[in-house]
Amino acid sequence: MAVQAAGQTIVEDGAGGMTRAVNRMVGGIVSYARWPDGSSATTRVMCLVGTPRLSDRMTPDVPGPGSVAVRRMNAAAVTPDCDILFLGRMPVADRRQLIAWVRGRPVLTITDDDAACIYGAMFCLNNKAGSLSFSVNIDAIGRGPLRIDPRVLRIGGGGGGV
Amino acid sequence: MTGRNPIPPIERIGARTTLQKLLSRFHFGITLFAVALSGLTILLAGVTALRGYADRNMELAAQLGAYGVEPALVFNDAQAAREGLEPLTRIPGIARLRVLNDVGRPLTQWTSPAADPAPLLTRIFFARPFAVTVRRNGSVIGTIEVWGDSSTLIDYVRIGLLAGLGCLLITAFGTIFLARRFEYELVKPLNEIATVAHDVRLHRRFDKRVQSLGIAELDRLGGDINALLDELQGWQGHMESERAMLAHRASHDTLTAMPNRDAFDEQLSLRIQSAGDRGGRFALLFIDADNFKAANDNFGHAAGDAVLVALSARIKETLRKGDFAARIGGDEFIVIIDPLDGETRAEELANRIRTSVAEPVLLPGGETYRAAVSVGVALFPDNGSDATALLTAADAAMYADKMTNRSR
Repeated sequence: MAVQAAGQTIVEDGAGGMTRAVNRMVGGIVSYARWPDGSSATTRVMCLVGTPRLSDRMTPDVPGPGSVAVRRMNAAAVTPDCDILFLGRMPVADRRQLIAWVRGRPVLTITDDDAACIYGAMFCLNNKAGSLSFSVNIDAIGRGPLRIDPRVLRIGGGGGGV
Repeated sequence: MTGRNPIPPIERIGARTTLQKLLSRFHFGITLFAVALSGLTILLAGVTALRGYADRNMELAAQLGAYGVEPALVFNDAQAAREGLEPLTRIPGIARLRVLNDVGRPLTQWTSPAADPAPLLTRIFFARPFAVTVRRNGSVIGTIEVWGDSSTLIDYVRIGLLAGLGCLLITAFGTIFLARRFEYELVKPLNEIATVAHDVRLHRRFDKRVQSLGIAELDRLGGDINALLDELQGWQGHMESERAMLAHRASHDTLTAMPNRDAFDEQLSLRIQSAGDRGGRFALLFIDADNFKAANDNFGHAAGDAVLVALSARIKETLRKGDFAARIGGDEFIVIIDPLDGETRAEELANRIRTSVAEPVLLPGGETYRAAVSVGVALFPDNGSDATALLTAADAAMYADKMTNRSR
């Protein structure tokens, strides 16, 4: 399993610093993803499953046009409407079932509960020493029809591509 | 004040140059000017074009950088921004890079470790950075700035100057070659004319002529000089024959064409000198016609002249090579027998002359005349060692002979 080490995003001090950083990072990742069905300007549906560890107020901040609508739901309620699947803390069985469901579908998976990024989510957020970073699971991306801008893969690679 | 303006002396130029040097310098000057002008033009055009390329280069670099740092700006990731700039740092001619985020705060920046070769050129040509706005889906997320430096320009100028130097070298060689050609084409004919003029002036070689020349103007000059030389040669020949005639006239008797008294005096002193030097001997024969006055009176002066001419011819016939005869008075002749070797007796020579003269002479009136001469012999150095003594001795001997003849 090819897991890339993370890039580092500067997290501002203060109460909302981490929330803003998470929303910016998730928005950024979304903006570099290409769904087979359309343009970046459309609103993507993000299905939030489980309990986010980094921030409870998920309103991803997509640069430019396009936006993300967040829906909280449990693992059983996930439908093909979901463009993005944010995996918070959840039982291992649920996570395994969701990852299996995603396979072959144009769904972007992001988690903040897998620092090593080994459980099958495409992007894994990680809070380490006051800074936020993300890792990329290339195998997970390779399995789906979703296309990710290689520059993001490089950042997620943390210099691994150089 | 005499009121006359003295003609000022023509000023001579101190240091003279040769035509070849002059042409060479001229060629070099013109070629240098042309090379410098074209070189400067090319250099300026090149610098302008290069500046355009450098601008374009930086613009492309900025675009490339904008593409590379875009995700870094999205994620606000300084490390990723540095990596995004990495390809740009390998492009020559870039001095400094800076990435600003959407609020204008620098995210990362890079400065070339190589020193700027010419800060002045950089200030002139790359005073302001190229700034490209980084957009993500249409909205501005940051700016990338690129500063150029003069390294590419300096390279070009260096190569340009080297090429210019090479051109100058070629120019110098070319000039030398052209000057050589000119020397051959122009200086050589001129030299030929000068040589002929010099020869004529110094050695009086009026027979010299300028050869036909390849350059029309010089050929015309040569032709004129040849014509002048023709005239000079004519004058010279005329003068020489005139002088020879005058010299002959001064030293010869006009009637008999024999050398005269002056020529004899000169000849005698020469013979004395030469015989004295080598210790030789010679004889002086003084010949005087007998009763010549009577012949003149009886047959007229024309007959007298005919007798004199006949006498001189007879005397000349008896002479050997190297002997000398002259008519020194009305009917007086002198013969120098020189050299006088042991076998030749002066008296025998005198008798030979007497015999030869005794042959009858046909006069203009139809009569014949039998001439007779008295001959006196004097020997050098036996009878005298100078001209006067020899002549006196010969004269005395002749007189004695005359007396003997009369008494017979």
